[in-house]
Amino acid sequence: MKASRRQFLQSGSAALIGLSIKADRAIAGSFVNDSFQLGHQLRDRTQFPAPKQVQKRSVVIVGGGIAGLSAAWRLHNKGFTDFVLLEMNDQPGGNSRWGENEITPYPWAAHYVPVPGPKAVYVRELFEELGVLKDDRWEERYLCFSPQERLFLYGRWQDGIEPAVGLTAADRDQFRRLEDHIHTFHASGKFTVPMEVGFSDSTAELDRVSFAEWLRAQGMNSRILNWYLNYCCRDDYGATTANTSAWAGIQYFASREPEEKGPLTWPEGNGWIVRRLMDRIGKFVQPNRMVHRISQTSKGVAIFSDDTEYRAEFVIFAAPTFLGPYLIEGMAPLHVFEYSPWLTANITLEHLPASYGTDPTWDSVVMDSPTLGYVDATHQSLRTHIDRTVWTFYWALAEGTPAQNRQLLLDKDWNYWKEAILRDLERVHADIRQCVSHIDIMRMGHAMARPRVGAIFSAERRSLAEPHGRIFFANSDLSGFSIFEEAQYRGVTAADFVASKLGGHRTSL
Amino acid sequence: MRLPSTNLGILLFITVLLIAACGLIYELIAGTLASYLLGDSVLQFSTIIGCYLFAMGIGSALSRYIDRGLAYRFVWIELLLGVIGGCSSALLFLAFAYTQGFQLLMYSLVVVIGILVGLEIPLLMRLVRGRYHFRDVVAHVLTFDYLGALGASLLFPILLVPYLGLVRSAMLFGVINVVVALWSTFLFANQIAAVRALRSLCVVVLCGLAIGLVEAKRITAAAEDNIYADEIIFSRDTRYQHIVLTRFKDDIRLFLSSHLQFSSRDEYRYHEALIHPGLSAIPAPRHVLVLGGGDGLAVREILKYPQIESVTLVDLDPEMTKLFSTNPMLTALNQKSFLSPKVHIINADAFPWVDSSTDSFDFIVIDFPDPTNYSLGKLYTTAFYKAVARHLSTQGLMVVQSTSPMFARDSYWCIAETLKQAGLQTYPYHVYVPSFGEWGFVIAGHRDFQFPISLPAGLRFVSVTGLPAMFQFPPDMSPLPMPPNRLNDQVLVRAYDQDWKDISH
Repeated sequence: MKASRRQFLQSGSAALIGLSIKADRAIAGSFVNDSFQLGHQLRDRTQFPAPKQVQKRSVVIVGGGIAGLSAAWRLHNKGFTDFVLLEMNDQPGGNSRWGENEITPYPWAAHYVPVPGPKAVYVRELFEELGVLKDDRWEERYLCFSPQERLFLYGRWQDGIEPAVGLTAADRDQFRRLEDHIHTFHASGKFTVPMEVGFSDSTAELDRVSFAEWLRAQGMNSRILNWYLNYCCRDDYGATTANTSAWAGIQYFASREPEEKGPLTWPEGNGWIVRRLMDRIGKFVQPNRMVHRISQTSKGVAIFSDDTEYRAEFVIFAAPTFLGPYLIEGMAPLHVFEYSPWLTANITLEHLPASYGTDPTWDSVVMDSPTLGYVDATHQSLRTHIDRTVWTFYWALAEGTPAQNRQLLLDKDWNYWKEAILRDLERVHADIRQCVSHIDIMRMGHAMARPRVGAIFSAERRSLAEPHGRIFFANSDLSGFSIFEEAQYRGVTAADFVASKLGGHRTSL
Repeated sequence: MRLPSTNLGILLFITVLLIAACGLIYELIAGTLASYLLGDSVLQFSTIIGCYLFAMGIGSALSRYIDRGLAYRFVWIELLLGVIGGCSSALLFLAFAYTQGFQLLMYSLVVVIGILVGLEIPLLMRLVRGRYHFRDVVAHVLTFDYLGALGASLLFPILLVPYLGLVRSAMLFGVINVVVALWSTFLFANQIAAVRALRSLCVVVLCGLAIGLVEAKRITAAAEDNIYADEIIFSRDTRYQHIVLTRFKDDIRLFLSSHLQFSSRDEYRYHEALIHPGLSAIPAPRHVLVLGGGDGLAVREILKYPQIESVTLVDLDPEMTKLFSTNPMLTALNQKSFLSPKVHIINADAFPWVDSSTDSFDFIVIDFPDPTNYSLGKLYTTAFYKAVARHLSTQGLMVVQSTSPMFARDSYWCIAETLKQAGLQTYPYHVYVPSFGEWGFVIAGHRDFQFPISLPAGLRFVSVTGLPAMFQFPPDMSPLPMPPNRLNDQVLVRAYDQDWKDISH
């Protein structure tokens, strides 16, 4: 009785107030870019049809993410034209895929590149070609506009994601000590982007403990500091500090040497780079071409995709390396590699929530949320007036085991994830349901390599980074973690290696 | 209930006094509003008084056709006057803001009110004629009628306009009309059949108007009266901003999202200083671009150069440019500059437009609101100025409104540095605009700037001999070392915020 009476009163008063009560919007959307059905055909060793035609190429690139596209870009720049890139999905880009609606282009995953330091030679070369770096100056409109980042804590927004308000003296002391450590590690020159440049066995012991254990050993027990570092590991590796090696945790901070306030970003995130690469080498890219078998002979490599058998001298295997044992005849199973499952959503807002809180900001993070927050796709717009926008919502399923989380991604429907996302946003935007008209969700079971304890220094990872006969692995996971610069480095170095092997015959066979 | 007859006379004549005052107030409000909104007060007051008196004549003439139920009809007339007159001011403001039919509505209201007022006195005289000698009736009624008019005409400028404003003054006198209606039901109770029903109606209308009186502020835009010193004569939320016009005597002020854009008393100083030092220094300017400046005042100055063939104005808000193209009060200010065939208005966001256009211009005016937030701050960055500078012809110059070098000294020199870092030569200068204080501009270009040797005729502020002094900065405004404002590091927005905080504390 009580409840119904209260309900009656509420609905009665709502009717009286009338206009001020706003209804939630109907929210449309679906899962998009699902690709696990294709991948599971490989896992389940589905029978594929026998080839009906044969095509010969000097080089076949398997996988059209940043690594594969970068390999193609490199080969093309070196004057090679006798190659093909086979991409399983209908859209190339991998983790740098992007989408677009009537409001704006938006990223599906990777959405920025930190301003590259001088050691990232190939990234700088690419950015010079794309007009991002001109006469040693970074193009202003590709640098993230002010204000860049904000963090919600203690009921308010602060500038930047590193907590700066409400710190105790002990917190401050620990932040400062970590900074000193990072400075020393950076100065050692052993933590670099790309990681191969400075990689040294003398840092191996850092790969034997988790980042969480290492922090504890340093006496860094500040809750705020640990929240922040855990956030960073979830953001870059999709894993908690307990599931990240200390080496990787330190790499995140100690490898950076920005010469400009960044990062570099675009409305469609790193999809902008994919589009520019596709302008150059799109004619070599064949989408919807899933490779299901690769077999090496003494004369060359046979690559089977749909009804075609490609015969090549070399293969650049730029797809995630965990697929190798399912595709490559005779390849031993992998044990060290582990991948973090992710979920991203693109959320269309008809207007910003009244509770938005500050000037429109690029990246918004909420302290103690299990998710990673959201990035505003129209932030890099040159317009001064923006009403409708798209937020890209990031959620690395870092708690629990990857296998459990992958199952969760498969089991739960769109409505479940939509509600989970809206509830997370309601922590800071109570009126979010009045603003959102559309939510598309992308599930990625194996979104990024996870640098768990021992992975970076494992013999398995280091052996895969070497050529395997006529197959060169090139995915970013060879570095132990998935970031743009590593993917590009692996793609470019594989292409260089193949080019040097091919030597004289540059044009066609 | 019946009133004692001794008091009846006094009450009767107070009624005459009040209804006379009400009638005059509605007329004064219409005249004042029309003068505020349309300008030319002599014309407005003359035509309104004429219409009003003529309509009163119609009312008096019509009174002879009313034979029965005089008291009942008198009460109804008072009720109607209360509602129509009480709401007249609010209706006119809304019509001005949201329709093209302001004048039609205004004269219709004046005529309707005039007819109703014209009916009042003849009916009242006939109602009381049995009780007094005709001679006394005429003398008393007319005496109190003129007394009421005197009271109203004194109250209106001294108390009502300054303290209540036009909307609530009208509402207040609407209430008085309805109070008269209500007590007339007691005065003439024995002459009205359905007296209870009529009284109830009076009470309902009275409540409605009383609520209107209290809530009238909302009509002029939610409690913002306090922000503005003068009476708000126009207030509208567009998709992009909140436009407010205020008026006090001859001074019209424009506020965009609560920031003062100009005062009609001294805007010529600002706009002459914005345009002429730069434009007169260009040998043969033909094509001019104005970014911002949706009030048409900068364009007015540009059109003083007959050799100019085209003026392209890019302003975000179509409602703003439409307002300054169509509203007579505002086109009087910008001298119908937007109606010139040389002027092309483009309603677009400036940065993307500048980025995509390929046109070349001899003179570019950048007149945006101050960098109060990061969105506006984008229009003050090296990236933006580089994009704009690509549109400059070889002899071209641009000028940038750059906030106050006095009150926002950091911000001013930050803008100058930003232009410099965009690869331009810069020539900062400043002028005094009373409603703004010291205000600063920067001329920039790929070439040297030299003082012009002649200026268009008829300028009131900028002169050839006065120019060099504008480019001198006394020590309290002299250059400060500031970093440039960049898209990825908007130091200007933070500096601007800090500058104004320092002033207000």
